[in-house]
Amino acid sequence: MNYTSFFKAEWLSLLRRKQDTLNALLFFVMVITLFPLGVDPSSEFLAPAAGGIIWCATALSVLMAVEGLFKEDFNDGSLEQWLASGLSVSVLVLLKVLAQWLMVMVPLLLALPVLAQMLFLPWSSLLTVMGSLLLGTPALFLIGAIGAALTVSLRRGAVLMLLLILPLYIPVIIFATGAIRAAQLQMSVSGQLAILAAMSIVALALAPVMTAISIKASVN
Amino acid sequence: MQKSVNLQVNQLYLERGDRDLCQDLTFSVTSGELVRVAGENGAGKSSLMKALLGWLPIESGQIEYKGEDVTVHRDVLLADQLYLGHTPGIKTVLTPLENLRLYCPEASLQALEQALEHVQLGPYADIPAAQLSAGQKRRVALARLWLTDKPLWLLDEPFTALDHAGVLALEAHIKTHLDSGGAVMLTTHQTLLTLSAKTVELAAA
Ligand SMILES: Nc1ncnc2c1ncn2[C@@H]1O[C@H](COP(=O)(O)OP(=O)(O)OP(=O)(O)O)[C@@H](O)[C@H]1O
Ligand SMILES: [Mg+2]
Repeated sequence: MNYTSFFKAEWLSLLRRKQDTLNALLFFVMVITLFPLGVDPSSEFLAPAAGGIIWCATALSVLMAVEGLFKEDFNDGSLEQWLASGLSVSVLVLLKVLAQWLMVMVPLLLALPVLAQMLFLPWSSLLTVMGSLLLGTPALFLIGAIGAALTVSLRRGAVLMLLLILPLYIPVIIFATGAIRAAQLQMSVSGQLAILAAMSIVALALAPVMTAISIKASVN
Repeated sequence: MQKSVNLQVNQLYLERGDRDLCQDLTFSVTSGELVRVAGENGAGKSSLMKALLGWLPIESGQIEYKGEDVTVHRDVLLADQLYLGHTPGIKTVLTPLENLRLYCPEASLQALEQALEHVQLGPYADIPAAQLSAGQKRRVALARLWLTDKPLWLLDEPFTALDHAGVLALEAHIKTHLDSGGAVMLTTHQTLLTLSAKTVELAAA
């Protein structure tokens, strides 16, 4: 096993399990359509709320996608093979999260312009929404990976994982929606986006290591 | 290239919860040797393998590989071993060929196909592993043994689910490995058909 063959195999497995990715995307679309249908279809309500709605839907679909991130690897013994391979488990985790991120976020970003129209999000803020998603979601995935690894050996780990992870998602959501609100008020967004990027970078530095430690603890 | 293996386990104590798995266990695995870890279900055979790989803490005692304490430097041991556990890491959404490509990226397509022939999986090379039988899945993992040049094989129950011919083929391959200076540490509840092994007994305390 090496890093390239690992990434290829991960990517291939994700392509074979398209249904899971599709479910996360479908979930995203559903949550977003529920707001105009269920709360208020007027642009006076939707336009200011659009950023929050998009980000909550994103956070929920990311949670769905990462919740079982290592479940199959745990069950089929792949985690043992990662540890026995002599490769850095942190890098393997990073590659796995990268594959998952691409698989979920690319279709989500492609679907976003249409959904944004439904929420009356002005075109001028769409770019900020996209930017906040690109900069903020890596943190969501990486933090989620820690939770997934911590709970992988538990039979009913899903709820525990939500309780562990959701509080850590809050700062990301706050700064992301803050950036979008600022964009709608024609204010500068670079500060909030920089903080989002910083959070993703910190997650990038810490989360793979912590995930690797949890994986090692779960294999015994 | 002559392979060389020298694994020394000295007065090892292993614990799981409150249970002692082994006390004062001393044995060695050197080039050309087949070591069979014996013991009833739950005696701690798999745990011993995991302790060697560093996934279980050892209570006391030393494990040395090539003269180095593995609790300090495990890289040499990790670089020299090939471990197949109870669940050998076969991805069911991938085909046998893709699984082998994941674990043996240096091997050519021809070598991969040959390895699959050795374990009688030639016709199944491109079928998702989910659609294989238990024994066939085990064979996918075992095919790695025909592609590797690692000197130390750690095989946890490699014969489970294998048919008679499969056991014979694997034993023959283990024999060639031993003759080329490799070493094998395995656990099995079956009697070995053609091989003779040094036995390490894990008696339940
Ligand atoms: N994940 C685990 N957590 C806690 N205890 C465990 C775990 N796995 C095994 N044990 C305990 O450790 C002991 C040894 O288990 P181990 O798997 O090493 O046995 P074994 O000799 O390999 O058995 P078998 O022949 O069934 O494969 C058992 O008593 C078992 O209850
Ligand atoms: Mg066992």
